[in-house]
Amino acid sequence: MAGIEISEITKIFPGEVTALSELDLSIEDGEFFALLGPSGCGKTTLLRTIAGLEPATSGSLDIGDRDVTSLPPGDRNVAMVFQDYALYPHMTVRDNIAYPLKVQKVGREARYGEAEKAGSSLSLDGLMDRRPGQLSGGQQQRVAVARAVACRPDVFLFDEPLSNLDAQLRLEARGFLKQLQKDLGTTTVYVTHDQGEALALADRMAVMDHGVIRQVGTPTELFHRPANVFVAGFIGSTPMNLIPGVLGDGNVRFDGGVLPLNGRGDTGGEVFYGIRPEYITIGDVGDISGTVAITENLGAQFLVTVDVAGQLIRAVVAEGSEPATGDTATVNPDPDRVLVYDRESGELTPGAGYH
Amino acid sequence: MRDFVVRVAFIGFSAFVGAFFALPMLWLVFAPFDSTPTLAAQIPEFTLENFSDLLSNASALRSLGNSLILVAGVVGVVLLVGAPASYVLSRIKFPGRDVFLYMLLLMSSVITGAAAMVPLFLLTFELGLNDRFPGVILVLAGGMLPASIFILKDFTDTTPRSYEESARVFGATTLQTLRDVVVPVIRPGLAVISVWTAVNVWSNFLIPFILLRSPSKSPAAVLMYSFYTEGGQPNLRLIAAFSLLYTVPILLLYGYVNRKYGFRFHGGLKS
Amino acid sequence: MTGKGTDRRRRSSGGDLVTRGGAATIVAPAAAVVAVFLVFPALWTLYLGLTNRGLTGINAANPQFVGLENYTTALSDPALWNSLQVTFIFVSGSAIVGQAVLGFTLAWVFRNWQSWVRRALELLVVVAWIVPSSVVAFLWVAFLDGESGTLNAILGIETEWLLRHPLLSVIVFNTWRGTAFSMLLFGAALNSLPPSYLETSRLAGASPLQQLFDIILPSIKGYIITNLLLISLWTFNDFSPYLITGGGPAGATEVLPIYIYNESIRFGELGFGSAISAIMLVINLLIALSYLRAGRSRS
Ligand SMILES: Nc1ncnc2c1ncn2[C@@H]1O[C@H](COP(=O)(O)OP(=O)(O)O)[C@@H](O)[C@H]1O
Ligand SMILES: [Mg+2]
Repeated sequence: MAGIEISEITKIFPGEVTALSELDLSIEDGEFFALLGPSGCGKTTLLRTIAGLEPATSGSLDIGDRDVTSLPPGDRNVAMVFQDYALYPHMTVRDNIAYPLKVQKVGREARYGEAEKAGSSLSLDGLMDRRPGQLSGGQQQRVAVARAVACRPDVFLFDEPLSNLDAQLRLEARGFLKQLQKDLGTTTVYVTHDQGEALALADRMAVMDHGVIRQVGTPTELFHRPANVFVAGFIGSTPMNLIPGVLGDGNVRFDGGVLPLNGRGDTGGEVFYGIRPEYITIGDVGDISGTVAITENLGAQFLVTVDVAGQLIRAVVAEGSEPATGDTATVNPDPDRVLVYDRESGELTPGAGYH
Repeated sequence: MRDFVVRVAFIGFSAFVGAFFALPMLWLVFAPFDSTPTLAAQIPEFTLENFSDLLSNASALRSLGNSLILVAGVVGVVLLVGAPASYVLSRIKFPGRDVFLYMLLLMSSVITGAAAMVPLFLLTFELGLNDRFPGVILVLAGGMLPASIFILKDFTDTTPRSYEESARVFGATTLQTLRDVVVPVIRPGLAVISVWTAVNVWSNFLIPFILLRSPSKSPAAVLMYSFYTEGGQPNLRLIAAFSLLYTVPILLLYGYVNRKYGFRFHGGLKS
Repeated sequence: MTGKGTDRRRRSSGGDLVTRGGAATIVAPAAAVVAVFLVFPALWTLYLGLTNRGLTGINAANPQFVGLENYTTALSDPALWNSLQVTFIFVSGSAIVGQAVLGFTLAWVFRNWQSWVRRALELLVVVAWIVPSSVVAFLWVAFLDGESGTLNAILGIETEWLLRHPLLSVIVFNTWRGTAFSMLLFGAALNSLPPSYLETSRLAGASPLQQLFDIILPSIKGYIITNLLLISLWTFNDFSPYLITGGGPAGATEVLPIYIYNESIRFGELGFGSAISAIMLVINLLIALSYLRAGRSRS
């Protein structure tokens, strides 16, 4: 069992592409850690650097109490599940799962026993003699996980393992991955660009952008107190409203009126008024009113977009209470849930909002 | 009415195509089994004696053996030096790699045996390889390597790197990775270039015709030619049986590749 | 730490199985074979063409540099002009007119025909392509034989085809021999067209011929150019007429490869033959370059 310490890791690809830029991160022993970020931000590169598949340009990397910076991949005792699963097409499921043990010179009997056990824990009984080509996407994904499990690594590395599955299977797979990790207690680094997946799975998570980490914390922390507008815009199934305005005395003024704020006395700064659509109610009474531009059915809820003096503000309301398009409606943010971001730096300003 | 005309034209065309392509071939089907073959294709008086005679003809058997040596040699060279090279060219990027590969391919289509027969003849002579199999093998391999490397590199490009990478993460050594993962995964590609090379060498006439002088070293392609051109009355029974025996391996190989991998075009190369 | 050096080496290779230095070592043998047995001969031909190198005698042991003499001699040799003319007729007749037109016609006429007859016909065409040349050459010598050939038996005549119509005979032979490639290539090209192309024009009421000229041919233009260039290149370098006629009678089928063979290997004028080879290499290069260009403008 082992935590991971990443210090000042930089990765520059040929052609001066900086994929990781002096990145620091520490992942604790036994935790399920998610790396979240848009495509191209360097998640895969970071994961491959941990695995040893990409040599870091500079910086150091410890797994457990070993400095593994210059160890080849095979000596790091990590297991990686690739996005395309990398199941060997010419081997049966059993041989695929047993292959890492074969490399470690585990005897035939013992490694097939282990393979059987790992396969069984992922409901692969009955599929052990098939070739990967004869399996469905979900089954292939489980074989890839079983192969990682069978070699009992210190660390699991997952690179978007669910991105090739359809929505239904993804939900199922999410559940068993979480359960499996809990049972095994193995440190896990999980790369995804899907914020819902990260929130659902992770004990802690980091949001990456352009080779740097923008925020680290628990899913709850990141959801409730995004440290900057980048994270605010990335997390949440409907992005946070970021309304440009000017700090007044205990409120934020914009073209459409005055937005309420709790616990803030400073004035004059140019800010974004950040409020999640879930924390806005729509009604008939209130200071800020506009025209309902769009209503979208989300199932049990409706996403309502209101045009307030040219500024679009979104709110999530319960099914049945949504206004009709074209109606006039008022927008009422919950002042306890408001976050104020500096407009220039994009960083969260202290003081207001949910703690 | 118009439909009828179209239909008749279609049937007429098909019949013409069938006749045009089948008639010259009929001799190869009938004559080997005919006890008194002539130059015309005719229903045979069935016998297998032509083949038993052939099997006691030392030079005919030797020529097939010679062809086999040439095929084994060239396929061996292509697999031994070409396959590793194409793997590396697929996996390691260096500036100008694609240009390098295209140049190779360009040269192998420009520098043909027909256009380079004089220097090839002189080169093998200067290297002491004239009238020797290694000379023929190296010349043929030189001509076939570029296309083989190109085909195999294309093939390797389509197999994900993650196969090798995952083996690396599990701690497999380079040798283990090659043996357990890389070679099995690119095996169809290896089979295709082996068959393509074998078929081309087995059929090649010009290079052994120019580079090998001793009749005892003639491969089947050259012996077949001397059977019907060198003086006297050609022995049609021998020619017929020999033609068939010499042709059948090619048809089998072609059928095998076609069934297993389907017909594919690789940048316009015969395969 | 003693392991430091190896550590760095292993580290720098990351996920790759081989380092760049290792890569060069692995590519080297293949590159050497190609360099010595393919590239060097071509360059050497250019040089040999400027000498009077012979196969035997003094010019073999001690060849002299003669400058462009071989080229001036060649240009005044009526046999070369004859050979160029024969080659031109052979290539345009058998490759462009014969193989390409017949190959396309087969692919087009049979495109929607699902039947064992079609598969059998296609198999015949392909078999003609893959049987070794010395065998098919003999099959045609037998087929065209004046006294007892199958063709004359069917037609009920006794024409000595290879003496009376030698060039026509090898053109028909090479059409028979090589149509498969064009048929397969055009078949693949027609298959790659989305069916909606044809359906749109059929809905507009176009006849099959209109479809062919307005829709099909323009959309597979790239394949057509590719095909014409490749089969021209191959036919231009084809030595198999030699297997049927030996280039005769009286030079009637002496295509350029046979001319080079006769001049250099049979008559021993290696220097002179090299000069002709150099011309041939240049023509090959021109065809291949236009092929690459066509390929590039297509993609
Ligand atoms: N082998 C490579 N060579 C050059 N650039 C690369 C290579 N791999 C990744 N990159 C670049 O590094 C950046 C990060 O890539 P990656 O880690 O794959 O992002 P993500 O997984 O977050 O989508 C991208 O800009 C990508 O183009
Ligand atoms: Mg990625």
